[in-house]
Amino acid sequence: MELGTVIAVFLTLCIFSFLYKDNPFYKFAEHLLVGISVGYVLVIALNTTLMPKLINPVFKEGKFDYIIPGILGLFMLLRFFPKYVWLSRISIALIIGAGAGVAIPATIQAKIFAQMQATMSSMASIDGIIVFVGIATTLAYFFFSREHKGWFGTTARVGTWFLMIFFGATFGYTVMSRISLLIGRMQFLLGDFLHIIK
Amino acid sequence: MSRQLIFILIALSVAIPLVIRIGLPNEVTSEVMQVYEEIDQLDSGSVVLISFDHEASSLPEVKPMAQAILHHCFTKKLKVVGLALLAEGTVIGDQILRRAANEYHAKYGKDYVFLGFRPQYQAAILGMGEDIVRVFPQDYKNLPLEQIPMMKKIKNYGDISLIISVTDGDMPVWWVDYAVSRYHKKLACATTAVMATSFYPFLSSGQMKGLLGGLKGAAEYEMLIEKPGMGQRGMDAQSVCHLVIILLVIVGNISYFRKNRLQSTVDSPP
Repeated sequence: MELGTVIAVFLTLCIFSFLYKDNPFYKFAEHLLVGISVGYVLVIALNTTLMPKLINPVFKEGKFDYIIPGILGLFMLLRFFPKYVWLSRISIALIIGAGAGVAIPATIQAKIFAQMQATMSSMASIDGIIVFVGIATTLAYFFFSREHKGWFGTTARVGTWFLMIFFGATFGYTVMSRISLLIGRMQFLLGDFLHIIK
Repeated sequence: MSRQLIFILIALSVAIPLVIRIGLPNEVTSEVMQVYEEIDQLDSGSVVLISFDHEASSLPEVKPMAQAILHHCFTKKLKVVGLALLAEGTVIGDQILRRAANEYHAKYGKDYVFLGFRPQYQAAILGMGEDIVRVFPQDYKNLPLEQIPMMKKIKNYGDISLIISVTDGDMPVWWVDYAVSRYHKKLACATTAVMATSFYPFLSSGQMKGLLGGLKGAAEYEMLIEKPGMGQRGMDAQSVCHLVIILLVIVGNISYFRKNRLQSTVDSPP
């Protein structure tokens, strides 16, 4: 049996031991996971971003203009030094400005216009009518400039039913997702380790 | 009922069906069929971009979906460009892609390529619309893209027929925002079940061309490609476990109402 499989089995059982109660084995596995994850992300970031996007262009290809974003990146680290924290705001301003400029038109197009268009054009079918009623009543529930009384209150209440159905569906999917993770571990324990599953 | 007893019941309801196959029926849903049809209608040699936008913790769900899709792609002799927009998806994506390719004797650089990871996914998704080389000057093995035969014909989204985001988060939303809205690319999504409900609006608006939701989605896709795998094997366990959970909820509610009734009888004066 491979050493990796044995280690994976040990760590899986360490994590499962929490189901009985908190214990040092669980804590060990948990801390190991956090440490390895951070180390892994750091190495990946170094190899796939810093080296090809900054170090190599500047030192191997002589592209010295790359130093400017490099310096802006270093400014971000100055948040740890109160005296120079103002410099980090230059980098943050650039990120927020460029990010918002790129994101706002795309978001409006993809999440508002396209969704509204789809809602309106699907009104010919029963599904489409249900979607429309769901959207209208749910929006009514989140309209707070008028008291939820009378016909408006009834509409808002219908909106809460739609919300409840959504929460129920989402919770059902969440349960399914978590059970899938358990199935994955069980397949590993019973299949790869104990060879009971054929 | 003690917590420990519930855990044991759940563990047994998962373990027993995994060991003893029951073979409960499973039907293919329209959203999974849509993904299958999108891939199936592509001509041999068409390019599919698969983005491994997930972390290691969701592997039991995303791996069967990615495997099933890749098997379909390689059977159809499609060219696959793999990449990761989350760091943890990098090694996993490379591994899944390489194993599937080896099974079909697909050659690296000719039939498939793995570009690796790029941070700042908005910039990466947008940048690839203009020029993939600008975002990924080298592949995961640090090979310049100009030296990879397959990548000589793939400059940007214009040369890609379908994008598939294998994800455990909201990355498909960014693909919709930038690749679909701006570059009008076709996008399908293979996501963990917990995220599936978030993407149904995009599916009904046509911004997504199909959706695989968790282990069930993988099982359905395995049925379509007639290649049983981890998804179908896990569905019996999933169904039995759901039945046990439903029973526990019913028992819990009955006991709650009984307890309340008894309490009110005790509290009310004779």
